[in-house]
Amino acid sequence: MKRFTEITLGILTAIGGFVDIGDLVANAETGARFRMGLAWAVVVGVVGIVVYAEMAGRVAAVSGRPVFDLVRERLGARVALANLLASFFINFLTLAAEIAGVALALELASSVNYLLWIPLVAALVWLVLWRGSFVPMERVFGLLGLALVVFGVALWHLHPEGLLASAMHPGPPTNESWGTYLFFAVALFGATMTPYEVFFFSSGAVEERWTRRDLNVERANVLIGFPLGGALSLLLMGTTATVLAPRGITVEHLSQVGLPVALALGKVGLAVLLVGIFAATFGAALETALSGGYTVSQYFGWQWGKFVRPNKAPRFHLVVLLATGLGGLLMLTAVDPIKVTEYSIVLAAAALPLTYFPILIVANDRDYLGDRVNGRVTNAIATVYLGLLVVVATATIPLMIMTKGGA
Amino acid sequence: MAGRTEGLAGGQSGGRSGDQSGGHRGGRTIDAGLRLLDRQLIDVDGMLAGKVDDLELTMPAEGAPYVTAILAGPGSLSRRVGGRLGAKIEALHRRLHPSEAPGPASVSWGVVTDVGSSIRLSVGKASLPVDTLEQWTREHIIDRIPGSDRAPD
Repeated sequence: MKRFTEITLGILTAIGGFVDIGDLVANAETGARFRMGLAWAVVVGVVGIVVYAEMAGRVAAVSGRPVFDLVRERLGARVALANLLASFFINFLTLAAEIAGVALALELASSVNYLLWIPLVAALVWLVLWRGSFVPMERVFGLLGLALVVFGVALWHLHPEGLLASAMHPGPPTNESWGTYLFFAVALFGATMTPYEVFFFSSGAVEERWTRRDLNVERANVLIGFPLGGALSLLLMGTTATVLAPRGITVEHLSQVGLPVALALGKVGLAVLLVGIFAATFGAALETALSGGYTVSQYFGWQWGKFVRPNKAPRFHLVVLLATGLGGLLMLTAVDPIKVTEYSIVLAAAALPLTYFPILIVANDRDYLGDRVNGRVTNAIATVYLGLLVVVATATIPLMIMTKGGA
Repeated sequence: MAGRTEGLAGGQSGGRSGDQSGGHRGGRTIDAGLRLLDRQLIDVDGMLAGKVDDLELTMPAEGAPYVTAILAGPGSLSRRVGGRLGAKIEALHRRLHPSEAPGPASVSWGVVTDVGSSIRLSVGKASLPVDTLEQWTREHIIDRIPGSDRAPD
């Protein structure tokens, strides 16, 4: 068990990254419309985030420098500021959506309108970030988020047929166009590689005070945490592909995400699912709020982190407080949180190469890593992915306009 | 030997200018653009104390220019960023700064103890001019919230 709790940083990063509020709905919708025909996009994304998170974590453990330090050092003050503005904006939108996501999960459990929950959720998120220490926070939400394994149990009970076959035959079904298919592929891939995951993971490595001696733990976090998160999103896709796709039901709201689980496992399954959704969205809110504070502080060189008292990192805590408060206010306008995350993923795609390129450069720098620099295989895979990220970054916005956001 | 001092980024140009400084006055020669600019400053207590936003170079009458100080904070960052955004940062710096014509905050090269993936200093950051905005935020905002001085639970 002790070994298992050592990898909760990777688990929380992954769950907050790709089974958060936007992805819960996006994965469910993908399963309902394309069955498993887009499963490959998640797999491709998971391999990419594993390769880059491993590099970012290794640099952070050996040199103590998290990702936005690298962005600033390699891109210079000007281009790094452009990246910061884009990344912070996306982070803020995602944080706001996660706050509403937690509120929606509470609405499903309590039948009290989610708008009433928002101020309470925002206050709770801030309180955890103000008073809680990093490691207990990461363990509670990382482990509770694993309640989403209920998707797997539900899938088992549903006796799915033909899921593997649909995963092996990529391409749009007859009632969908190639444009829409590719748009969803790009959105799923972008969601698995959202930049705030590496901001959070590498800063978390510093928060946990990892050193060169912890590189095995670092690797275990990456190699177990991220594939586990990817498996959860594929299992969710499988449940809607089995139950909703044959009936022609599409997913637009969080309440529909739980339909297959309720059908297979009844009220108990639904209760477990709600715990999982609460933990995943709350964890994602913590991850994005912290990432906002980390990126701004690291760009300017301010003291940051939860490893010091709040008054030792005043500007970091001010950023976190403002982002959480304003995020809650934005959601009180009743703007649809699902739409907000979908657009933020698309906007994030443009910032992807600017975040991952500096990681790859520094992971080859002996100034930082000594003898722990990248090997040839890692460099080869990472270079292919950098090319892929550039293609995705250029293709996303035209695809979004062409398909009217995958409508 | 009278020297002239100026920031590495110069007046208008943003980004990293190609000037690669190196001193031979008993110091070592390193690629300042690559290995100094934009690195993290860490004070004697291990606290993060800003970035190397710019460098002050001294141009001796003969020989290569050498680094005399690290410039940090909005007063120097504004020149690196350049353009309209840089001008806004500069205006904010002037407004927040107590003196009439504030220059960029500077940290003497003499307190630098190590140049690696970060720049280590031999003094505490409270004694440096780079810390004023952090102190202001602490006194006026963060310390007014209960629990700001307690270690997290």
